[in-house]
Amino acid sequence: MATIQVNKKYAFRWYEKFYFMSITAGLWVTLKHFIKSAFLRRMVTVQYPEQKKPLSSRFRGLHRLKRNEKGQERCTACYCCQWVCPADAIHIVAAEVPPERQYLHPEDKYAKVFQVDLLRCIYCGLCEEACPKGAIYLDGGLPLPADSRDALILNKEQMLEPTGGPIIGERL
Amino acid sequence: MDSLDKQLSNRIAVKIGAMAKIWVDGVEYEVDEKKNLIDALKEKGVEIPHFCYHPKLSVVGMCRICLIEIEGVPKFQAACNTPIKDGMKINAFGEKIVKAREGVMEFLLINHPLDCPVCDKAGECRLQDYSFKLGHETTRYKEEKRNIPQEKIGTNLYINHNRCILCYRCVRFDREIVGVNDLEMLSRGNDTIIAYVPPETEKEKSPYLNHNYQGALADICPVGALLNESTLFRSRVWWYESKESHCHGCATLCRVTANLKNNAIYRYMPPQHPERDGYFICDYGRFSTHDFSQNRLYAYRRSGTKIRSQEALAQLAELLAQAKRIAVLGGGSESCTDVDALAELVGKLRDAGKTVQWDFRSNAQAFYSGNAQWDFLLSKDLRPNAAYLRQKNATDFADFTALEKELGQAELILVVGELSPPYAYQTGKIYAHVKGLKIPTSVEQTELYQALDTHNAWPKTVLLTTHADSAADKALLAIPIQSFVEKSGRFCDKEGNFKETTVLLRPVQGLRSSGEIWQSIPALEPVGVA
Ligand code: SF4
Ligand code: SF4
Ligand code: SF4
Ligand code: SF4
Ligand code: FES
Repeated sequence: MATIQVNKKYAFRWYEKFYFMSITAGLWVTLKHFIKSAFLRRMVTVQYPEQKKPLSSRFRGLHRLKRNEKGQERCTACYCCQWVCPADAIHIVAAEVPPERQYLHPEDKYAKVFQVDLLRCIYCGLCEEACPKGAIYLDGGLPLPADSRDALILNKEQMLEPTGGPIIGERL
Repeated sequence: MDSLDKQLSNRIAVKIGAMAKIWVDGVEYEVDEKKNLIDALKEKGVEIPHFCYHPKLSVVGMCRICLIEIEGVPKFQAACNTPIKDGMKINAFGEKIVKAREGVMEFLLINHPLDCPVCDKAGECRLQDYSFKLGHETTRYKEEKRNIPQEKIGTNLYINHNRCILCYRCVRFDREIVGVNDLEMLSRGNDTIIAYVPPETEKEKSPYLNHNYQGALADICPVGALLNESTLFRSRVWWYESKESHCHGCATLCRVTANLKNNAIYRYMPPQHPERDGYFICDYGRFSTHDFSQNRLYAYRRSGTKIRSQEALAQLAELLAQAKRIAVLGGGSESCTDVDALAELVGKLRDAGKTVQWDFRSNAQAFYSGNAQWDFLLSKDLRPNAAYLRQKNATDFADFTALEKELGQAELILVVGELSPPYAYQTGKIYAHVKGLKIPTSVEQTELYQALDTHNAWPKTVLLTTHADSAADKALLAIPIQSFVEKSGRFCDKEGNFKETTVLLRPVQGLRSSGEIWQSIPALEPVGVA
């Protein structure tokens, strides 16, 4: 059994033993911040969700499904993302494209159902990496709170970027 | 059909010739002279890439990916079409030949969309593998690729012309193995496509190809050009757990690789060692597996109401003890152990002076005469253990009419697995097209069910079944048993070979096999004495 000898190099002086000086120093920091935020309007807290902080371009947030230059869905239901997802958060049902949807898809297979369970997702970004079509990106920003579990299962309509202008599916 | 059989066996017959010494990239190998070079080298562990060559089909040399350089021969040769000669020096993986193969690959990919994310073949596609190994990452082809829409050519077959590499395998397979002349190569050059052309011999021309080997066609297609409708877009190949077992479909008992997912069989594929176990399997077995995991019967029933197993088994014992005249139908879907237990029971009942008639056949077709084969694989005995039941002499009825008559007279009828899918009927869309064979799609359509109805025989029928259908409701007693794929067991094929199956699906706990039912009848002993 070895004992460790701790050398106390510093010995308190008598007035230091009251801790008055240290407490004052600590409170002074608090006071400084109080004055800064209350009187000088240099606030440290952000009024989320009215106010939003800029996110890093690599931030992994909500899933988005992209469209190609013609406004067609990029996802072709290859199941690569579902396969790679470590949290089992993605659920896809593939189907043959019916004639009335043909203009929406470049291929003849599409995702009839595409759901992401945000309660399971760990935002690892593997789905984004696995997608051979550049269809899924986690660039949808911060997930919002919801008051039911069902509301946290994203479906295709919520994730698909709105139709319109070409969207280059690459991260900046 | 006989001539077909002969043709096939001729082709399958292993030709053994003298041994020849050849050198491949400087390494000496001793190979059989009569063998195909690709096969001979594969045995030695040298894999020459090939698309169009298939060990069971004639050689056409159409894809040119198997190019090799032979010393002393000025041009590159197709390995599949090169006879083995003693002293041959081959350059198979040299710089020049690899470059040539890259060139071939580029040609093959000219019109190929490489749409692997959409293609069902991805993961088991030879073109995908080879373009990974041999191909370029980029293409130099700047012109428009041809784009012909996907087309349905078979009752269970789609063709995606864009993916086709024109290897001619499908055409050769239909002509040489199936024996129908229904696929053709149409047009020329860039426009060449594979198309279904109804054979001239056919009287009613079917709009679609409709033989029993459409699954095999999709298998032998080295790319994803031929795909089965029944599996289209349903899953991806890397999701399966694969287990080898034997097909439940008929007395041929083909060895198969079962693809499993979520405790259900998704499909059967050819075995892992086709040289030994056969290259092809038929659609009848392959596409009838979905019933094994649907609508299962797990509770014992008496005239439709659930009862406890002890009650049911006690009642069964009592019925057996009282009845003087018993008809036992079925057993062909059960393993040898189960059949042995049933045979023992039948023996005991007979010893006790009862009239027991036992037949494993339960529909008119099963009492066939003459040719025992539907085609080169599918046997007319559509029960896996039919041959064993013949050995056990479970053939007491002359024909189906005799069986029907007995239904009216017997005091007790035991039906063992004969009203369960996929044997008696198959639900959903039927993908097997066997000319002359009608497959009922519900239990009400089966001949045995109708016969039991007409003879009002349900109140004296004890049904051992796997499925909760209306037969299980109507029978006096319905006893749940394990299905073919939920137990392992020995089965006897039509040639008398015993084959061992594997457990493919996890059975529900407590579910017994039919053999265990016979053994667990509490008062079985007194039956013999009585
Ligand atoms: S981010 Fe990760 S956990 Fe979330 S869906 Fe994608 S792969 Fe699954
Ligand atoms: S999002 Fe991408 S990876 Fe996922 S199914 Fe669609 S195409 Fe495939
Ligand atoms: S459809 Fe398949 S098997 Fe037939 S020629 Fe084309 S690639 Fe070959
Ligand atoms: S021939 Fe018989 S055993 Fe072989 S695959 Fe067909 S049904 Fe199954
Ligand atoms: S395998 Fe030899 S040419 Fe196709």
